[in-house]
Order: sequence, then structure tokens, then C-alpha cells
Amino acid sequence: MMTELNQASSKNAQPVAQTQVAKVPVNVLIVGVGGQGVIMVSKVLASLCQQQGYEVKQSEVHGMAKRGGSVFSHVRFGEKVYSPTIPVGQADVLVALEWAEGLRWLPYLKPETGIFIADTQKIVPPFACRDRKHGAANGYAKETVADISQMISNCYAADAGTTAAELGNARAANTLLLGMLSTTLDFPESEWRDIISKFVPPKTIDINMQAFDQGREWVERYDPAALAQGQAEAGSVAQQPHQVQFELPVITEAWCKSCDICVKFCPERCLSLNENQVAELTKPELCTLCRICERLCPDFAISLNYKH
Amino acid sequence: MSEVDSKFNIRDYLREHMFPHFLCPGCGHGIALRALLWAIDELEIPKDKLAFVSGIGCSGRLGAYIDSNTFHVTHGRPLAFATGLKLARPDLEVIVITGDGDCLAIGGNHLIHACRRNLNITCMMLNNEVYGMTGGQVSPTTSSNRFTTTTPHGNYEPVFDACKLAEAAGAGMVGREITLQTPALKNVLKEGLSHNGFSFVEVMSDCTEVFGRKNELGDSAEMVLTQKSSVRPDGYDNTVEQPFRPNFLKTGVMARNDRPEYAAAYRQHIMSMKEG
Ligand code: SF4
Ligand code: SF4
Ligand code: SF4
Repeated sequence: MMTELNQASSKNAQPVAQTQVAKVPVNVLIVGVGGQGVIMVSKVLASLCQQQGYEVKQSEVHGMAKRGGSVFSHVRFGEKVYSPTIPVGQADVLVALEWAEGLRWLPYLKPETGIFIADTQKIVPPFACRDRKHGAANGYAKETVADISQMISNCYAADAGTTAAELGNARAANTLLLGMLSTTLDFPESEWRDIISKFVPPKTIDINMQAFDQGREWVERYDPAALAQGQAEAGSVAQQPHQVQFELPVITEAWCKSCDICVKFCPERCLSLNENQVAELTKPELCTLCRICERLCPDFAISLNYKH
Repeated sequence: MSEVDSKFNIRDYLREHMFPHFLCPGCGHGIALRALLWAIDELEIPKDKLAFVSGIGCSGRLGAYIDSNTFHVTHGRPLAFATGLKLARPDLEVIVITGDGDCLAIGGNHLIHACRRNLNITCMMLNNEVYGMTGGQVSPTTSSNRFTTTTPHGNYEPVFDACKLAEAAGAGMVGREITLQTPALKNVLKEGLSHNGFSFVEVMSDCTEVFGRKNELGDSAEMVLTQKSSVRPDGYDNTVEQPFRPNFLKTGVMARNDRPEYAAAYRQHIMSMKEG
């Protein structure tokens, strides 16, 4: 088994699950953020393995089902599977629906031979937002695709979310990842398509099939050399700070009618009514330039001017 | 470009010498006017090519504050005036600003026929559930059980669903949005303005001083915030009955069709008469 897998890693996306060698269970770890569809992806895979005659064990954490929590699912299949969980350093394939979640689970990947498939889309958790000002630094993982591919030889990171959105349904990103996964497991392509069609809503089958193709094509086009130079398509994971182009809110006192809307709606509580019952920016240092006060002032008394 | 980066400056579109405007503190109509002007700004329609026609009521006053061609006409008739204007000057982007009383009661007939003709006009109806300017009488859209000066024991008349009416009468595009969701409202209005045909957009606005006070709906901010509780982006049909609304109101673009536009057909008819 080991030798087979070593060979596999030397070329692009050679199947790890050669049917004849599946005596040792194949471990696939699927991770992401609550609400993304980790469970759906793992169910597709588990059903497919079952159909192919393998014994499958799947265990998942969906305690974080509340949107935004970390969710993972272990899928193990082979002739005989005993434990439902994958030990650290034993995952043959790690599929990440979100970039930082992928990084979090990297220690589970088999050293040298493990295959890392990731969507580069970023879901910044609230606790990583240290400052709500536009363009402010946050605590999100700084590692780029280029960094990771230097550590892991089999790193396939694509901007699945954007590609799927361009196809017309952002949720098809999961299918795109399944397309990428399908190149690493030795199951017939048509079986993949059948099983995916059963799991996705009937109206979206077309888009999902296109996403599946895109995922497969992506792996075929994949060029690790370009990636190492940081020229990969997925380079967009690098931070692009939002340009602060607006000045602090300016209040036209003569127009303000003291309705209190801006004061109550400002998320940072920077506004208050002064002794003349006119709105005033009392805590300018907290203002994030979100423009909610400007939008909801019925008297057009607040404006955030564009910096020329 | 995201909404937070928008360079739209409302003062480019206002007659600043008329300000502050006459609306009560916190009146939702101001927010609706911002959304309308924002939509126009994003579509880059020159001010000379715009014509605003408004009727009577608090909503009707909005026209006076816009630095463009504006017409303040008789009660309930802005759609009738707009029809004449659009037929005479097809090069103008004609926009009607009207209220629930103006559009559904006094001008109700004009509305259904404007929808039927499908002339390329955009109608923004501000629904605040009351006749605010005249002191708070019951209107066709006053929710059930609400107090007004003419329903001191609560309203028992059924509510008019203006969007369903417009759709059934054949309007080319029908949409609804709340003022709290200003960017979404702007987008619905943008769709209306770009649609070639009659576009009807209902804006759920707040009458803070008259309706809000009478029904103890809280201060302005509270009223804006609670707008959310009476609407639901989808799932209009399968929701539980609500005490004040017949059901949750749906928002967004609700109907669209490609029926022939009236002015084009009208002109074709004139040409054929001239030739014949
Ligand atoms: S832009 Fe307005 S609402 Fe937003 S933080 Fe600044 S003052 Fe508050
Ligand atoms: S929302 Fe406008 S009118 Fe109301 S208090 Fe604030 S600045 Fe004044
Ligand atoms: S009466 Fe009502 S609708 Fe009219 S301006 Fe005052 S708050 Fe607005």
C-alpha cells in the first residue's frame, strides 16, 4: 500500500484508491465551516464507496451545525474498516471547503503522500476580526497557496466558490471539489455523476455537472511550478486591503431633525444627540465608515464625502 | 463596486435651498427618496432627461426637493399626467412618486389602466398605511386592527395588496422593498427604471408622527427596525396568519413580463395612419 501511494504522489493526481489495494482502508477527511455542506460532500462519497462494494465508516461532528462553527467528517472505506475515525497523520485525502479550516486539519494528512484539496475561499470568523475598520488587519491565517504547496507536494487549491458562482450557483462549489476529489479516487466517472445527481436539488443538476467537469479539468491543468512562483489562479487568497476612500461623516446641523435614527443604528455607537438635540459624531475614532447613518438619515443631514 | 464604496452624493440631485424638507422627523419617505436618486445615479441618467410627477400627500411633496424636471399635480392623477407626458416626450425617463392613498384610493383607476397599457413609466408608491398629511385617516393599505383618526376602534377593512393588483393588471415589472434595506430598495428601483414597460415599486415606509404615534409603534428608530418583522424575502404563501397583516409581505422583484410597451405600439399606429 505505501509503495503504491508513494508512486501516486510522484505524478499529478494518480488515484490513491486503486481497487485492488483497498485492503487497507482509504481515509478521506472532509472539513469546512458550518452550513457549507461538509456533511453533504461526505454523504456523496460514502454512498459511492458503498455502491462500489466497500465497507464504509463515517463519523462526523455536526455539533457546530450553528452557522460558522468548524465541521468535519471522517470517511474511511476498504475491504474491512474497524475504526470510524482517522488518526493524526493518516488521511490519504483532505478536502477543505474553506481555506483556514484546511490549514487547521493539515496535521491529519499523511506525510509525503497525502493529497490536500482545498477551496481558497475565506470565511473570516468574527473572532478573527480585531478591528472592524475597512482594510484593518485581521487574525485570519496568513498562509497562501504558494506557501502551502511548498510544504505539501500534492496541494490542489482552487477558487471553487468564485468559479461556481460564475456558473450560476455558489453552492455548486462543493461539487467542484468533488470533481477534484474524483481524480484522486479510482471510481468510474459516470458513477460519480449518478450519485451527485441524486444528492443535489433536481433543478441544479446541470450546473453541478458543469462544476464537476471544472473540478476535473482544474486538476488536469494544474501546474505546481507556476504555483510555487505564486502565479497560480488561486493566488487571490492573498489579502487585498480595502481602500479607505471616504472621510468621516459630516453632519449638516440645519437639516437634522433629531429623529435619533442615526444614533440608534450606528453599530459602533459613535453618534449622539448634543444639547441642541442635533446629531454629533462624538466618537470619531470608532467610526468604521460603514455609511449606515448616511443611508438611513431621512433628512440627508449626514454625508460621508469621497476623498478626491 | 460594493455599496459601501458608492460615490453617489445625494446633494448633486437636491434643490438645497429648499432644505430642511417639510417631512416630520424620522419619516421614511426621505430614505425612499435617497434610494430612488441613488438608483438614478447608478444608471447615469442625466438630470435633464428625468421627469418626476407626483400627486398630493406627504409623498407628493418629494418632487419639490429634486433638482430636475418636476410636476406636482392633482390628487390621484400623477399616473394620468405621466401618461400624457411620456407619450408627448418619449425621450424623457418619467418617474411617478405617489402614496398609498394617492395611488390606490383616489387614483386607483389610473393605476390599473397604467398597468394595463404598460407604458414605459416607473411608479414608486410609498406605502405608510395612512393619509399622513391630512391628519391620519384610514387608507386602503392600513393593516387590520390599526388605529387611525377615522378608525378609533381599530381598522376592520381588509388590506389592499398593491403588488398583486399591479401584477394582475399587467404591469411589466412589480417589486416591493422596505426602507431599512436601502441598498436592496435601490436595486429594485434600478430594475424598475431599466425595465421597458410599466414598473410598479411599492416601498414600505414609516409615518412616524401620525401613524406611529397613534399606534404606539415606538420612536423613529424602532419603527425602522421593526419593518423587518412584517416582511419576508420569500415564502409568502406558507406563513402563519399575522394579527396586523393578512400575511407576511414578500419583498424583492415579484413579477416581470415582456408585454409590448404602449408608446411603441402607439407610435406605430400613428405612422400607419399617416401612411394610409
Ligand atoms: S459611518 Fe456612521 S453608522 Fe457607520 S460607524 Fe461611522 S458614524 Fe457609525
Ligand atoms: S438620522 Fe439624520 S435627522 Fe435623524 S438625528 Fe440623525 S442626523 Fe438628525
Ligand atoms: S405625516 Fe407621516 S408621512 Fe407625512 S411627513 Fe409626517 S411622518 Fe411622514
